[in-house]
Amino acid sequence: MTLTYLKGSAAVALAGMALTMTTVPASAQDTPSWCGPNEATLALLDGFGGNSWRIVTAEAGRQEAEACSSITEYIYADGQGDTQKAISDINSMAARGIDGMVVFGDAGPAVLPALTNAYRSGMVVVPYRVIVGGEPERNYTRYVAASFIANGVLWAEWIVEQFPDGANILYLSGPAGNSQGTEQLEGMMQVLDDRYTFLNPDPFAVTNWDPALTQQVLSAAIAQHEDIDVIVSDFGPSLVGALPVFENFDRSIPALATSDGNSLGCFWQANHENNPDFDLMTVETGTDNVRLAVQWAIAEVTGGTLPDTDVFESGVFENSVTGSPNSVQCEPDLPGAIYLSSAVPAQVQADAVGN
Amino acid sequence: MAQTEIQIENNPQSGLFQIPVAKGFVTIVGSTIALIVLCLIFAPSAVSSGALAGSLPFAAVLAIVGLGQMLVVQQGGFDLSVPGGVSLAVVIATHMPSGDDSALLGAVAFAVACAIAAGVVNGLLVGVYRLNAIIATIGMNALLFGGVFAISGGVPRTTTELLAEIAGGRTFGFSHAVYFALIILVLVSFAMKKTVFGRRFEAIGANPLAAQAVGLRVRLYQMTAYVLAQVLYCTAGILIAGITREPTAFQGNSLLLPSVAVVVLAGVSLLGGRGFPISLVIAAFFLNQLSQFALAIGVPFSAQTIVQALALVFGIGIYSINWTHVATKLFQRASKEE
Repeated sequence: MTLTYLKGSAAVALAGMALTMTTVPASAQDTPSWCGPNEATLALLDGFGGNSWRIVTAEAGRQEAEACSSITEYIYADGQGDTQKAISDINSMAARGIDGMVVFGDAGPAVLPALTNAYRSGMVVVPYRVIVGGEPERNYTRYVAASFIANGVLWAEWIVEQFPDGANILYLSGPAGNSQGTEQLEGMMQVLDDRYTFLNPDPFAVTNWDPALTQQVLSAAIAQHEDIDVIVSDFGPSLVGALPVFENFDRSIPALATSDGNSLGCFWQANHENNPDFDLMTVETGTDNVRLAVQWAIAEVTGGTLPDTDVFESGVFENSVTGSPNSVQCEPDLPGAIYLSSAVPAQVQADAVGN
Repeated sequence: MAQTEIQIENNPQSGLFQIPVAKGFVTIVGSTIALIVLCLIFAPSAVSSGALAGSLPFAAVLAIVGLGQMLVVQQGGFDLSVPGGVSLAVVIATHMPSGDDSALLGAVAFAVACAIAAGVVNGLLVGVYRLNAIIATIGMNALLFGGVFAISGGVPRTTTELLAEIAGGRTFGFSHAVYFALIILVLVSFAMKKTVFGRRFEAIGANPLAAQAVGLRVRLYQMTAYVLAQVLYCTAGILIAGITREPTAFQGNSLLLPSVAVVVLAGVSLLGGRGFPISLVIAAFFLNQLSQFALAIGVPFSAQTIVQALALVFGIGIYSINWTHVATKLFQRASKEE
């Protein structure tokens, strides 16, 4: 497989196929095994739909449902970051008699009672990516997880390859206490020994995934530590505004292990020559996590074959050092806020995010 | 007339009120110097040139937003539409040009026009129709976020190279955003302290009924406060769009509380009246530097939040409690016991 000759989404689609068979875009096959003969209706309920990652995810979910002809109606609802609206959306779908729902439960356990009620009324309920508490087959049909621990392991393995004698690591994540951040750290700690030092306060430097706060946090960290060997962040694109801060200190941007984004790839291509230490490794940002959840829901409601796993694992997407599985990708003519690791074609993403 | 009499009766006290004013400036300058000394001792990295270069642009943005909030507070109001105003400017400045430098000027003009429109509506609701400022501006905030979603769909977009240079570039070692803040500071200070408009503006804020009695156009001035405030939020939003390169569509959310905090720390009365633009800009630097200090000494995020909250409590405590009175009472009690 010569992925390096393939650009963008095509390469990612094939890479995804190699890494996680369950997340193969359904359009690659005529009738997927998880698409059974019974006709049904399906809803995708987003807790918050107002950013590019969610828009691309919603598009991925739509594509997956479209691949199964047994799905007669597909509905998307955006909770707009409002827990009450998210709960209301769940109740509303149950009242409308929708057969199955896939739920991004941003509000966590707050949506569990509504999910439980929907499940007990006979719906197929598949929450994914955010832990909502409860148990499968008691509160909902199946929980489809994302393996953030696996992301941490991939980053740590790359760090060990680049810095076999140890390194100083600055680890940035989102809001304080977010489970994604702590799980990723858990994954890194499985690989890294005491030669690797974390410079940030335990467990991670809080950035709220906000580019402005990231910039301030990074400024303080760079001023404080002269020897940052590698930065780890779970939202690469939020670093694009912050990384030029290194220029203020006349220092090279260090190695970076993160998740992919078009703006980040283009930033690397524009800046790596002037920053000799700026190696980049990204994991797939996980917009295809929803596909696995949709497959589970459709398999349950249509009587198809259940997928082999209920855990979505992101693979490595870009590696500037080895070029494997991909060199750093950039589509300069498309918006920065798209994700070339997604199985949704780049141009479709661009159209979806409004460009 | 009763209000006028009260005003006249209070006049002899206005001299006394000037003492807290001086105290306010001295307090914020003293606190800032003390903070810098603390940084030099415990976290020298927080005051290194590189760290300041990274953090000063954000202090500048906070100062500009704070100046806008100050104008509204001077009229006895509160502006909760800061997040919407800033975020709308951010998305207009990034989405409309979409990377094309030649479209930037049009986008900036459109952003300013939207800000003026929002300010006029706020001003009409509060100044003319006498709606509660908090209710009116929180409604406007929701409306502005509607605009944010309509333009951006919540999706961030990379800023243009030209805007990145205008807002984030550096001249003589300082970010351009700092120069913008200083220019705005000079303009606001001059307008407030050296023009008829400014003197009337402060007089109306101190006592609108008395001002009305002497024939000043109170409603117009109150409306102007909201319009000018929105224009300043808009300026701050455009600067953020340049500084952060790929700002989110909700970049203004984190500015509401700090915008009120700097007004309080600058010693501006929340009941309206005089404004202290220079103290406010120093307070913005103080608050920003406090964050940098907390980050540099590596305290947990919870402690960072507590430190900032304590600074706000300190500011309110300094200005809201009559410490001279408290001290006198304590002294008298001690004397009686003797």
